Amino acid sequence: MEKKLKSFNLTGMLFVLPSVLIVILLLIYPIFSSIYFSFTSKNLIRPFYDFVWLENFKFVLTNPDFYRAFMNSIKWTVLSLAGQLFIGFTAALALNRIPKFTGLYRTLLIIPWAFPAIVIAFSWKYILNDVYGFLPNLLTKLGITDANINFLANPDLAFIVVVLINIWFGAPLFMVNILSALKTVPSEQYEAAQMDGASSFQVFWHITLRHIRVVIGLLLVLRTIWVFNNFDILYLITGGGPSDITTTLPIFAFKAGWGMKQLGVASAITVILLLFLLGICFLYFKLLDKWEREDR
Amino acid sequence: MKKKMLVLFVILAMMITTACSGGENEATTNQSSSGEFEGEITVWHSFTQGPRLEFMQAAADSFMKEHSKVKIKIETFAWPEFYTKWTTGLQSGQVPDVSTALPNHVVELIDVDALVPLNDVIDNIGRDRFYEAPLKEGTVDENNYSIPLYSHAQVMWYRKDLLEEAGLEVPKTWDELYETAKKLNNAPNVYGLSVPMGSGDMMATRFLNFYVRSAGETLITKDGKANLTSKAAIDGINYWINMYKSTSPEGSVNYKVLDQANLYYQGKTAFDFNSGFQIGGVETNSPQLLDKIDAAPMPKINANDPENGIETSNIPVVVWKNSKHPEIAKAFVESLYEKEEYIKFLHSVPAGMLPALKDIAEDPEFLNNPTIQKFDNAVKVISAAVDKGTAIGMENGPTLQSGVIVSQGVIEKMFQDIVLKDVPVKEAAEKAEKELNDLFKMLGK
Repeated sequence: MEKKLKSFNLTGMLFVLPSVLIVILLLIYPIFSSIYFSFTSKNLIRPFYDFVWLENFKFVLTNPDFYRAFMNSIKWTVLSLAGQLFIGFTAALALNRIPKFTGLYRTLLIIPWAFPAIVIAFSWKYILNDVYGFLPNLLTKLGITDANINFLANPDLAFIVVVLINIWFGAPLFMVNILSALKTVPSEQYEAAQMDGASSFQVFWHITLRHIRVVIGLLLVLRTIWVFNNFDILYLITGGGPSDITTTLPIFAFKAGWGMKQLGVASAITVILLLFLLGICFLYFKLLDKWEREDR
Repeated sequence: MKKKMLVLFVILAMMITTACSGGENEATTNQSSSGEFEGEITVWHSFTQGPRLEFMQAAADSFMKEHSKVKIKIETFAWPEFYTKWTTGLQSGQVPDVSTALPNHVVELIDVDALVPLNDVIDNIGRDRFYEAPLKEGTVDENNYSIPLYSHAQVMWYRKDLLEEAGLEVPKTWDELYETAKKLNNAPNVYGLSVPMGSGDMMATRFLNFYVRSAGETLITKDGKANLTSKAAIDGINYWINMYKSTSPEGSVNYKVLDQANLYYQGKTAFDFNSGFQIGGVETNSPQLLDKIDAAPMPKINANDPENGIETSNIPVVVWKNSKHPEIAKAFVESLYEKEEYIKFLHSVPAGMLPALKDIAEDPEFLNNPTIQKFDNAVKVISAAVDKGTAIGMENGPTLQSGVIVSQGVIEKMFQDIVLKDVPVKEAAEKAEKELNDLFKMLGK
């Protein structure tokens, strides 16, 4: 005990204290307040509230709109990530083979990632507008469509169009990170494989992919959380419409919290969202642990 | 060493405590012994650009010049940000002394007892000088919790040149509007009339309200229930669906207020509904169209139907209960209505912001403005509409339901379901009505 007290470094603690306070204020407090409010009838502008315990969860879990939003979130995340990974990976493999101007190409390709969401949303809304938008007018002028299509108003197209915008936005992050990982693959392994007469696919599968799979796994963990929680791009482009086709869980929670001011209900939705993502992350990390053990 | 560390820790803790409390409105003293105002007040407004923004600062400067011991801090937020700001501010006590608000905000603020009555300020300015309907929107139990600063009303805007070229009259009924819009529809160059249905906005609710109000009905009944299945409502829904299919861009199913207005500003629609702010939009985007636009009263079901007030927006000022200097706040509000300054304010968006005071509306000084004179007819049409209408859902007085009906996108989704999923009108209306009534119940009202 005395030893423990001796090792207690007050100076060190004081230096760490501001960071600890910031973490508590910015990270732990919102999470715990959300969990706390999810058990209450908290209204955004009313000062008094009661404990309703699981009522908010019951309300949410018996609401068909919640399940529609949940399914939309899963579709949105899976399709976006699959597209981002495929394009990011392909672009990274291509850039890795280009001997010159790699920096320039990388800079050009990362541009979508550098745009703020509000710029992306308004630019795409403008480009896709059926009256004065560039793309519908171009397609009509080229004779590909008879009349201008409004991509965001068409129930068959709206969801896939916003997913494509998200792929365009997120693929550069995959590209940059995968490219960095590709640079770390030892060239001797490729030379050895070549000498052994391995096919291109075998080289890709057993050397390239095996070497960078942990990076890809980590990217998938982070992007799953970001894409699943993404609110701004979707909300600014479609507002969750048309006819709730693009309403995901964050938009559903936003409407409950800021629209109806039912902070208790909105908190219950976010707690469910948090639990779901924790479960997904747990599975991802299990897989990553397995890969890391295999690589040792 | 340990002692020094302890002292350092205490100082750090004090600094953190001080920093955390620094954001509070710091009150000095209320009023000096001579009766002169003394103290600092914060004013929030949502006039984010142009001459309106400059006017608010000038009004504060002028008040501070007259009351040398008063400091007025002006903070500006766009409407959506403004809403977030005050809802979160209520939780933390970080609200201003004075602010502008939307009528629906006022209802919510009255409900949570966040405002002080301003009967005395209204009496000082002259109660009879105000139009009755805007005052009613902020009145509960004979207490006036808001003062209208300016008003505008929704009217029908049309393109004079297109009507003249086609030899058509300005429509007076909904049927005439449908036929005329159809004749002028020449997509993709010009659409007859765009019917906006974007969720996250209230434009479809607004359009349906036009029709329902012109039939003498309301979207919210006297007992606070949603009213989407009455004959007028069903007729209205059918009317706008037909109009959408015949004269509107396909994409208007997603349009919000700005998308809708932009089409008219750019000369892409022959008809639109808006207030006098339409003039400024056309002037900025397509000045060549400025001589070709005018406004007419809202269409009716039958030409000889009585004039029903439809939608008026009265933008009020409120004084917050948290104010440490309510007397200064009230005096500042009162100063905004001094004739010369008030007219200067209204002229910052000529024809867009119409006076909340009847006498100013007829004052030659107010009328003597080039834009107001140029759009003399439109101003008369809007002025006539201002006095009769109310905010959507407030026809029977201020209700929280009126906020829900314009903020939840239920009616917008109903229109989208009909157009995109072929849901039968009656079924969609019943579903939306039930959804709204469920939401009303959640308010405990």
